[in-house]
Amino acid sequence: MTARTLPWDWHPGVIPENVELRTGAYLETTYSFQFYRSRLPVGMILGANSSAYMGCMFDLGTKACFQTGENTLLNGLWLICDQRVTIGDSCLLSWNVVIMDTYRASPRSDRRRAMLRQFAGTRSPEAFAGQATKAVTIGNNVWIGFDCCILPGTTIGDGTIIGARSVVGGQVPPNCIFAGNPAKFIRSIAPANAPAEQQENYHD
Amino acid sequence: MNPANDMTPPRPNAWEGGQLPVGVTLGDNTVVNGKAAFRRVASRQPDALVIGANATMDGVQFSIGPGARIRIGDYCCFTSAVLMAEEYICIGSYVLIGWNTVIADSDFHPIEPALRIADAVACSPAGAGNPRPPVRRAPVIIEDDVWIGPNCAIFKGVRIGRGAWIGPGSVVTRDVAAGACVAGNPAKAVDTP
Repeated sequence: MTARTLPWDWHPGVIPENVELRTGAYLETTYSFQFYRSRLPVGMILGANSSAYMGCMFDLGTKACFQTGENTLLNGLWLICDQRVTIGDSCLLSWNVVIMDTYRASPRSDRRRAMLRQFAGTRSPEAFAGQATKAVTIGNNVWIGFDCCILPGTTIGDGTIIGARSVVGGQVPPNCIFAGNPAKFIRSIAPANAPAEQQENYHD
Repeated sequence: MNPANDMTPPRPNAWEGGQLPVGVTLGDNTVVNGKAAFRRVASRQPDALVIGANATMDGVQFSIGPGARIRIGDYCCFTSAVLMAEEYICIGSYVLIGWNTVIADSDFHPIEPALRIADAVACSPAGAGNPRPPVRRAPVIIEDDVWIGPNCAIFKGVRIGRGAWIGPGSVVTRDVAAGACVAGNPAKAVDTP
């Protein structure tokens, strides 16, 4: 199999073999794979017509899997994934969003010291591998504002908006606005399939 | 695995930008990646930036004012952090700092509205050479074994005690006790993750 490159790429990298780009998916640069280490048969799927722009960093450990649905926009996502992160269809992720399914750190400082000693010797991110993970699942039609952090174990329901600079953990319900640090419920919004009279009109 | 995209191999005392600026000292086996790392080092101190041994500064930007200093211990690992010193930032050993975190020991501009107008004028192209009003500043001290997540902000006068854990996205404006876990804006005590 010949190495896959991007004709418009400024970085002299290749797309890893176990990354699946579905029809119409757009990837701005292979620099996004600088820390990509997944060895699963399929480590990452960028769904049909989904796009990953410059500033995205797919920092996947050897056993990690990341997947997006269709028409999802990743505008500078920093993904820290050692297990599984799933994003649905038609999601909009703003710049400098961090999604992590692991802290890549032990709560015990003596263990962190051992990791840092190993890293200084090898300079391999594997020094931070093997820590606790909790998968992250983001539904369809979720909009995440800039500079947000999505913490390990988070699930976000369909249609929800996460305000800019929020730090989100736990279970976020569908069709609501959730914001703050720590993020909390602000209010409900009408689902995408609600009748027209229930939809909010911001243009009157 | 993708050999073409592997991290660059370590070089002792290395900075890919070449010659280190005056006042910058790196310990054995310490690596600094990123050509913009020292672009804003304006300090005239002989010890403007001293980093210990076995540290990794990946995409970190150092902004150091004329009279300011930054000191970092051994075995630290920072990723794309921004360190802005107008006085003194002191970081111990075995400290981890996540992506996009900012540490600043100064407000950089006055609080008082009238002084802020004067500062804006002095900073403008028309104000070249005019003295700027005084600005509040206070050293930031981060002790050994502290873990700081991505997207955090650590502000002036803060001391973070040994082994503390600063959750992702935290905004830290008050001291953090040794061994504490904090998160939020403003950062408050939380359960261990």
